[in-house]
Amino acid sequence: MSKIDIDIKETFSGKIGFHKFAEYDNQVFIKIDSENFSKAISLLSEKDFILKLLFCEEEFESTGKFTLFYAFTKAGHDSLVVLLITINSLSIESISKIYPSASWQEREISDGFGIHFENSPDNRRLFLHEIYPENFHPLLKSFKNKKIVMSKENLSCNQDKAYTFREISGEGIYQIPVGPIHAGIIEPGHFRFSVIGEEVFNLEIRMFYKHRGIEKLSENNIPKDVVMISESISGDETVSNAVGFCTAVERISAENIPERGKYLRTIFLELERIYSHLGDLGGMCMDVAYPVGAAEFFVLREDVLRKNHELTGSRFMKGIVCLGGVNKDVEKKKLKELDSFLNKLLQKFVISLRDIHESSSIEDRFETTGIIKHELIKLLNLTGPTARASGSRRDIRAQSLYGAYDKIDVSIKSKFSGDVQSRFNLKAEEINESINIIRKLILKIPSGNIHAEIAIKDGFVLSLIEAPRGENIQYLHIKDGLIQRYKIRTASYFNWQVIEHAILGNIVPDFPLINKSLNLSYAGTDS
Amino acid sequence: MRKLSKKLLKKKITENLVFRDEEFEKYGIKLKEKVDSIFGRSIAIREVDCGSDNSIEIELVNLTMPHYDIERFGISFVASPRHADILIVTGAVTHNMEIALRKVYDATPAPKWVIALGDDACNGGIFRDTYAVNNGVEDILPVDIKIPGNSPSPIEIIKGILALMDNIKKQS
Repeated sequence: MSKIDIDIKETFSGKIGFHKFAEYDNQVFIKIDSENFSKAISLLSEKDFILKLLFCEEEFESTGKFTLFYAFTKAGHDSLVVLLITINSLSIESISKIYPSASWQEREISDGFGIHFENSPDNRRLFLHEIYPENFHPLLKSFKNKKIVMSKENLSCNQDKAYTFREISGEGIYQIPVGPIHAGIIEPGHFRFSVIGEEVFNLEIRMFYKHRGIEKLSENNIPKDVVMISESISGDETVSNAVGFCTAVERISAENIPERGKYLRTIFLELERIYSHLGDLGGMCMDVAYPVGAAEFFVLREDVLRKNHELTGSRFMKGIVCLGGVNKDVEKKKLKELDSFLNKLLQKFVISLRDIHESSSIEDRFETTGIIKHELIKLLNLTGPTARASGSRRDIRAQSLYGAYDKIDVSIKSKFSGDVQSRFNLKAEEINESINIIRKLILKIPSGNIHAEIAIKDGFVLSLIEAPRGENIQYLHIKDGLIQRYKIRTASYFNWQVIEHAILGNIVPDFPLINKSLNLSYAGTDS
Repeated sequence: MRKLSKKLLKKKITENLVFRDEEFEKYGIKLKEKVDSIFGRSIAIREVDCGSDNSIEIELVNLTMPHYDIERFGISFVASPRHADILIVTGAVTHNMEIALRKVYDATPAPKWVIALGDDACNGGIFRDTYAVNNGVEDILPVDIKIPGNSPSPIEIIKGILALMDNIKKQS
């Protein structure tokens, strides 16, 4: 019996009736009656459970129309406990006052399925912007995925329907609207600052400009075809998301993949982390007007992208991960070259880093900027380097649920001050560690097959991956060999929301820097 | 003082980066000639992301970085459509970005050209005929050239811009 199993028994026994619905080695699915729902949530919150994921599936069971899934974990626990609530009506009590991280997720379910969350502080639409018609719920099974034509009225951007932002008013307070299109080569999103002088008093972000309907697109496809779709969630997390998806299919089908396949997947995952973090470090230097330092990191990143191309045929390693393993082997000579490449990269990296640390004007901009308080980790479900720079020690790689992380020691880095400086230093240390991991794996990699045939079975499972930005959770339900529901939640989705807190009291010019230090993917959030 | 002079006399920490991409240079020099003859000296590009996965944006940023440094060839990325000659649009154009994209196009002074960059932008890619997107940039704006790829590499992008220059030259 896992630790979380015992915890859940202690939390619920004698108070609420529940029964276990399904179980995997790191996750338990528990069913409770809808009348016990509010009580269960408050009990869980008292025991410090963290809400990891909230989503809805239609026709999950024959008994009810909609099933809501509330996945929880606890600090220091590896496992997930998932509450299943089946509802027949179109409304349920909101939990966003207890779990603020539920707010966006509830609004998303309202848009997707038309379910109303009672007593919610925020009922605005989320991923369906004003351009979409009323009463349009794309995730319902009754809606067949097709191109929709927008009416003239919707295209004219009706002012009555315009999205209302939280705006703070008062003497000397003014608004700065930014976006969706920004000044640089970046993705679209809207930021609404309320500012006094130079200091940010309030910020509200609006996302989902890049909503492409990936979840609906995946439905009714065979798993093999969805690997490519999972890669397109976020272009610089391709390996993470593809591995997450494939791991889900492999677990449902109870199939093991060959050892060499696992090792190669892990090497690609870590290469992805290296180039992603290098881009971040460069970006942070750029945003404090230090292009020389930035250029050094970008040069290193370009070197890694070229190496990726050499190893996998794609600069972003697209198409390399497949069901049952990887598509392409890396021969011994190439692995040896990769080892010496990484050695050289590390040497150059250390020099570039030293230059940054020697500059007092950079320290001045980095230190005490954009502090994220430790308490927010639980409330907003922060993960990845963002959480680890604020004192968290959670890293899915340490749980060895996928890849070859069980074969080596992964040292988890953590920092405590939660400012830009600590995120910068943490990412630098993680690059170091990733290089170590790959070099250790190269020494140990066994020979053999790189992929196995997978006989697809039906079932449902959650899979967690430690992507460069944090935990990417995916839920997959296969029925009759076809995908019934595919839910994606990248780390950026939650980490984005903390920027509204991190910016408070900082000056507007520090916003790009704080944003960069969190390294958030718009595409991954909007999916 | 001695400390300072020591610091000044110290060996430079900068190094000469040895990467010269002959193929890229070749296209770059051609591009420079074209840009000089058609536009005087330089062209300004405004990038608009309308629903790509973010890898194309990474490649475009890469073009301005030391390995490629496309500004040498007279191409610069600008912060506002009002400063732009060319719009590069990525992604299949989500409905949520549709209005913003139209506004950007209207704000760009004529003469203007539109590049659809990446498979999604060319014809909707894997998102074709789904509820959240248009079938590529063409559904919204007149497109002058399409550069396919998932995602197109820096060299493919510069080749595409070069092809656009050829088209403009023919038209004029």
